[in-house]
Amino acid sequence: MAKRAKPLKAPDKLVFLLSFVPYLLERRVVDVAEAAQHFGMTEAEIRDAVRLIATSGLPGSTGTYQPNDLFDIDWDSFEDDDVIVIVHHVAIDDAPRLSAREAAALMAGLQYLSASPESAGSASLASLKAKLAAGASSAPSRLAVAETEADASLAVIREAVAEGRQVEFDYLNARGERGRRRADPLRIISQDADWYLQAYCHTREDVRNFRVDRMSDLVLTDEPIGDHSHRVVPDTLFQSSDSDLAVVVDVAPSTLPLLADYLADSRAREVDGRLRVTLRLSHVHGLKRLVAGLPGLVTVVAPAEARAAVAEWAAAGLAGYAGREASDDDPRGTGATDGST
Amino acid sequence: MIARVSGASRKGEPRIPVEDRLFSLVLALLATETGLLKAEILSSVRGYAERYDESGQNANLERQFERDKDDIRELGIPLETVESPDRPGDNQALRYRIPKGQYDLPEEVRFTPDELALLGLAAEVWREASLSSDSQRALTKLRSLGIEPREPVIGYAPRLRVRDAAFEPLRQALDRRQTVRFRYFKPGEPAPRERIVDPLAVVLHEGRWHLHGFDRNAGGPRTFLLSRIIGKVEPVPGLTFDAPPPGIQDRILAELDELRLRNAADLAVTAGSDAEVRLGKRAVLRDEDAGVIRLHYTDAAVFADELAAYGPEVRVISPASLRDAVRERLAAVVAAHRDGGAA
Repeated sequence: MAKRAKPLKAPDKLVFLLSFVPYLLERRVVDVAEAAQHFGMTEAEIRDAVRLIATSGLPGSTGTYQPNDLFDIDWDSFEDDDVIVIVHHVAIDDAPRLSAREAAALMAGLQYLSASPESAGSASLASLKAKLAAGASSAPSRLAVAETEADASLAVIREAVAEGRQVEFDYLNARGERGRRRADPLRIISQDADWYLQAYCHTREDVRNFRVDRMSDLVLTDEPIGDHSHRVVPDTLFQSSDSDLAVVVDVAPSTLPLLADYLADSRAREVDGRLRVTLRLSHVHGLKRLVAGLPGLVTVVAPAEARAAVAEWAAAGLAGYAGREASDDDPRGTGATDGST
Repeated sequence: MIARVSGASRKGEPRIPVEDRLFSLVLALLATETGLLKAEILSSVRGYAERYDESGQNANLERQFERDKDDIRELGIPLETVESPDRPGDNQALRYRIPKGQYDLPEEVRFTPDELALLGLAAEVWREASLSSDSQRALTKLRSLGIEPREPVIGYAPRLRVRDAAFEPLRQALDRRQTVRFRYFKPGEPAPRERIVDPLAVVLHEGRWHLHGFDRNAGGPRTFLLSRIIGKVEPVPGLTFDAPPPGIQDRILAELDELRLRNAADLAVTAGSDAEVRLGKRAVLRDEDAGVIRLHYTDAAVFADELAAYGPEVRVISPASLRDAVRERLAAVVAAHRDGGAA
């Protein structure tokens, strides 16, 4: 069920032990392998935990941890068959409550998922949130995420996968090119307010990321979805490639986190109170939008073509307002067409 | 009480791992009805007893116990302190216990495989330190119920990032009901100003994290954008406040929604452009022939940044304040990029 990368800290290990005992009691007889799978741990970690639990217990009235005050397991099953059976337990038998922070983190995560097709509507979401609140040992932290309606396209995509049929849609890519695409949906990825479909694109004959809000006229076809189990589906939305553009920018220090996806490396040099960093972007079309959306916070230093592209983009936007105001127009608004020195 | 062995003679033994000591402490405190005295805990519970000194030099061990108590409470385990009715105020007479009724997950809190699948995704939403570890711990606790989550129809990788440095300290302060101070840069003001605030709720609305709190200088409730907090958020020593009413976070979200509905912008968008497709999805009114859409927005400065990114693809028709804000931003970008680079 779970995947985990980092080693657990002592409080996390404690939570695991306190959760593992009621699981073993509930299941009565469990394979080490099955328990490892259920908790997303290695089999060695599970065996270590079983040995720790089997020698733990209460100090008892004499403070000497007598056998009757300790947990006990069926050691033969454990040593010979890798099977866990608790034969004597003390002090705990039920799942522990959630902390206020734990409940709040899951509740806010659920609110965010209201935009996904897995979320079965606001009523079931509300009852699930109420259950989490009831399962917390004190009132959950006052943390909330505004719920949004799922994009209708996501529901169609989910249906396509459930029925094993290809989808077809109009797509406007980041370079402004529009075209009809036919694709086998593989995975739904989101980042903040943006939802993406990762799919095998029959038109491009490769795996592609599609922004759901750039898709229109989405329909289910009668064509079956192919087998893509051999394909590597990238885990991230932004993959660097050799054809990427390297762009040097100066950025206000507080804005740097907003550029994290594009940073070429961790190097940053201070220049006049700003940080000079190198970004990697697939195309200047993305760069000009990124920089214009962080006005005054990011300045392109090099190359000159990238600087010029940003200047042109903003100038063209500014030109839209020229002559429409009673007040004087900024002459820069129409003049800057290139960045040549 | 008889200690097994004195601390000194056990020095050569391997140290008891931290989780072993914490686990033994939780078991001991759950098993007692009346509570255990600190001396009883330190002299008998595994992980402490091995280092307990009969002659009374246990200052390190006592500090260890204080930290362990905090760690256990952080996990949502209701570790109680009970005063002795005969000796109120006497620290040595305090008893410690974990009432089982408040420790166990209530009977009615059980989940279906579908719900667990959704909760698994909810935990995956967070990749940042504290939200991620909190939700992973919550999942571990729920796994103790022994229910396998249903496999979703299609794979998901949902992610909501928290990129405001102010988020972590504010979330801590929220839970501890601790007053904080920070510098806040309000648009239209010449410089950031210090605020002293009781943080009451933290909410994400229209993609931005907001803090709602009681502003002690202004003497009233205020809502702040986390992205406009400059520098550190620091606790104000000794200042705490009462718990706000339950559900205040939902009320704040509703208020922000009302604010959003009061602000409407008419935008001219270029046919076939990214702006038409993406802003068009959020339009509440649309004039296809004129290429004009109407959108609601919460904060003019935030919305102006977003619109500036679209360059020539969108032009603000009204309101004039938003139009000026976008124009100023575009002019600033042009000014910063008009001459050749100096790399």
